[in-house]
Amino acid sequence: MYNEAFDKKKIRKPYSNIMTWANSLPQNTVIKKKLQAENLFKKIGITFSVYNNFDSAERLIPFDMFPRIITRMEWMKIQDGVTQRALAINAFLRDIYNKCEIVKAKKIPGYLIYKNPAYEIKMIGFKVPNNIYSPIIGTDIIRTDEKSFKVLEDNCRTPSGVSYMIENREIMMRMFPELFQQLNIEPVENYSSYLLDILKSLAPKKCDKDPKVVILTPGPLNSAYYEHSFLADTMGIELVQGTDLVVENNVTYMRTTKGKERVDIIYRRIDDDFIDPLSFNQSSVIGVPGLFDSYRSGNVNICSAPGSGIADDKAIYSYMPEIIRFYLGQEPILPSIKTWRCGSEKDKNYVLSNLEKLVIKEVHGSGGYGMLIGNSASKAKINLFAKKIKLNPENYIAQPILDLSTVPIFKKDSLSPRHVDLRPFTLIGNRKIKLVAGGLTRVALKDGSLVVNSSQGGGVKDTWVLRD
Amino acid sequence: MLSRTAENLYWTARYVERADSIARLLEVAYRIHLIPNTHEGYMNEWESILQASGIKEEYLTKYKEINKDKIEYFLLFDETNGSCIKSCIMNARANLKMVRTAVTLEVWNTVNSWYHDIGKYEKEKYNSKDLPEILDWVKRQVNLIKGTIDNTQLINDGFDFIRLGLYFERADFTARIIDVKYFILLPSSSYIGSQVDNFQWSLMLRSVSSYRGFKWAYGNSDIDYKKIIDFLILSSICPRSIFFAIDKIHHHMNRLVKYYNSSNKAHKKIQTIYKGLRKSNADQIIEFGLHEFLTKFIDDISAIYNDLENVYFLGTDK
Repeated sequence: MYNEAFDKKKIRKPYSNIMTWANSLPQNTVIKKKLQAENLFKKIGITFSVYNNFDSAERLIPFDMFPRIITRMEWMKIQDGVTQRALAINAFLRDIYNKCEIVKAKKIPGYLIYKNPAYEIKMIGFKVPNNIYSPIIGTDIIRTDEKSFKVLEDNCRTPSGVSYMIENREIMMRMFPELFQQLNIEPVENYSSYLLDILKSLAPKKCDKDPKVVILTPGPLNSAYYEHSFLADTMGIELVQGTDLVVENNVTYMRTTKGKERVDIIYRRIDDDFIDPLSFNQSSVIGVPGLFDSYRSGNVNICSAPGSGIADDKAIYSYMPEIIRFYLGQEPILPSIKTWRCGSEKDKNYVLSNLEKLVIKEVHGSGGYGMLIGNSASKAKINLFAKKIKLNPENYIAQPILDLSTVPIFKKDSLSPRHVDLRPFTLIGNRKIKLVAGGLTRVALKDGSLVVNSSQGGGVKDTWVLRD
Repeated sequence: MLSRTAENLYWTARYVERADSIARLLEVAYRIHLIPNTHEGYMNEWESILQASGIKEEYLTKYKEINKDKIEYFLLFDETNGSCIKSCIMNARANLKMVRTAVTLEVWNTVNSWYHDIGKYEKEKYNSKDLPEILDWVKRQVNLIKGTIDNTQLINDGFDFIRLGLYFERADFTARIIDVKYFILLPSSSYIGSQVDNFQWSLMLRSVSSYRGFKWAYGNSDIDYKKIIDFLILSSICPRSIFFAIDKIHHHMNRLVKYYNSSNKAHKKIQTIYKGLRKSNADQIIEFGLHEFLTKFIDDISAIYNDLENVYFLGTDK
């Protein structure tokens, strides 16, 4: 297990200042500051809702005040790696909705694409503005030793968490201003202006003025609603719900107190299925009838494009190194994790006889649901998964149980290591790529746990990329 | 601005104002409860509170009998009652949450803390003794919210919709409470002008927080029914009067019409009401019939709200 703060009991250099600081804090200061931070979160309303939960109350995401530190050199590598993936993912999406050269070249089996529920037939042959399908990509990265950062997952539909990245920083700056004077920490607050700039570069064909951008949210009950409102607020654009939009003659408008106003770009935070009840799920009440036709006729852009989700499908993930090589002619900068696809007979047999050494994931699952961690699961659960895999092998992949690196968290009277991952956010627009130096560090708060998802008891940390 | 944003701002303000009104009603009832019950009419007070807030039926269906403790709970915390203080706070916050980006962080904070704190009061097992403290707290928070709005919001069209919500609610509430007092508390016309009547009127002044104000405005003379009508309906200096609210509604609708550069039905109607009230006096209202006047007024402003809704919130009338 790799501890990012200690190297064989010795404090690693990037952490030396922060360790001195943490150890010098009187115990009651930690408790007091923690309480203050929680009150701030609560007052500002930085909350999330949990699905599948009868108690629909809003929850605070647990915040740990011990920062996660990344050096300049480490960050450069991460940055190059996620940028490379963002380019490859967009090239891949363009290809599979047009010429499908990657299938013709036999780099990916056709059925994985054409039979994939995330493949959107209605997108075939449609040319999206500037060939960008997925302008906002959150890449989940884990660290396993001093040198290795690996990609666990790409999120290219509507990745969330960026508001926590920014708010965590705000809170830390309020709580411990002295640290920011002492250390050279890369700022993250530019994210929203980068995002607006990237979105505006993706104006649809028929827009000839400064494009009007809006965020489309499912509404206040959505688990990421705080983030939607945060982004709208910091970009200075309207946060709309489906009922605020109306399509007439294939042009999309929003209803305002002055009458109808034309909308050019929609950063949607609702799933493909719900975008437009006329084209997709008919029972959707949060969508906008006619929106997809408006999109297809070049009157409005929808970001990310419907059908982008196929690129972060877990079955496609295992081909990502191939995808990078095929479109960019480069070797992946950040390696992927060894993945067994139960759809193949050979892999399935290996997986079934090594269940207790593997993590089993549902191909289309997310949020840490539908997952088995072999070494800590009960016999019954393992048997259940074995049955499920035999019944529907194509629905499962397996990966080795990874030793995620750890970073200390503040416990009542001491520091204690906990597993973390990292999600930087890459923005890709018309001939430009932007990302702030930082990301969201998620931390498993239970000792020994590897599950960092906030819906499953994970917390967050501020992430500091040091300038020197 | 988005139509929905305008609508959510409007309703946030209405619910904030409504919570305030309910708190004042409860305060009056509590006060009566401390005074020896010499006249039968006083017990009606609890009933008239329910009547004024338009929830008597709901209450009786649920609790069957008029009972002080039950009414208090019903008006403070009972979420099945959409008009209880807690529901008002929850609704105000839910509306504001939909449009968080349309208000400053300070405004959101005041409403959000209000919401979190009412939960605490409820949890600490309610005791009738605590009523004054809770009511005081509710009113203080309302003032804090309104002050924060005035001091931190841009004075743009969003601000106009907030103000419209506040004054529509107030106009409606003041009209209702006068009507309830006039109609319910007087068993027969022979009571008018008697001591009982005066006591009732003074309670009504208290329920809209205007008791002292009245004394200042009219000197320490006897409370008289015409003066009260003048004060609560026609005064331009009493912030709880109907005319005061109409004056504000008129002002903010003028601003919107100018801002959006297009007039509408609601605007024309409010102009008519505004001009009518400005020319009226208490004698004319009494001659027309106070109850009739109030009923017509309540209908009129509700029709104006419908027009306003059509123009700005639904976009069905342009």
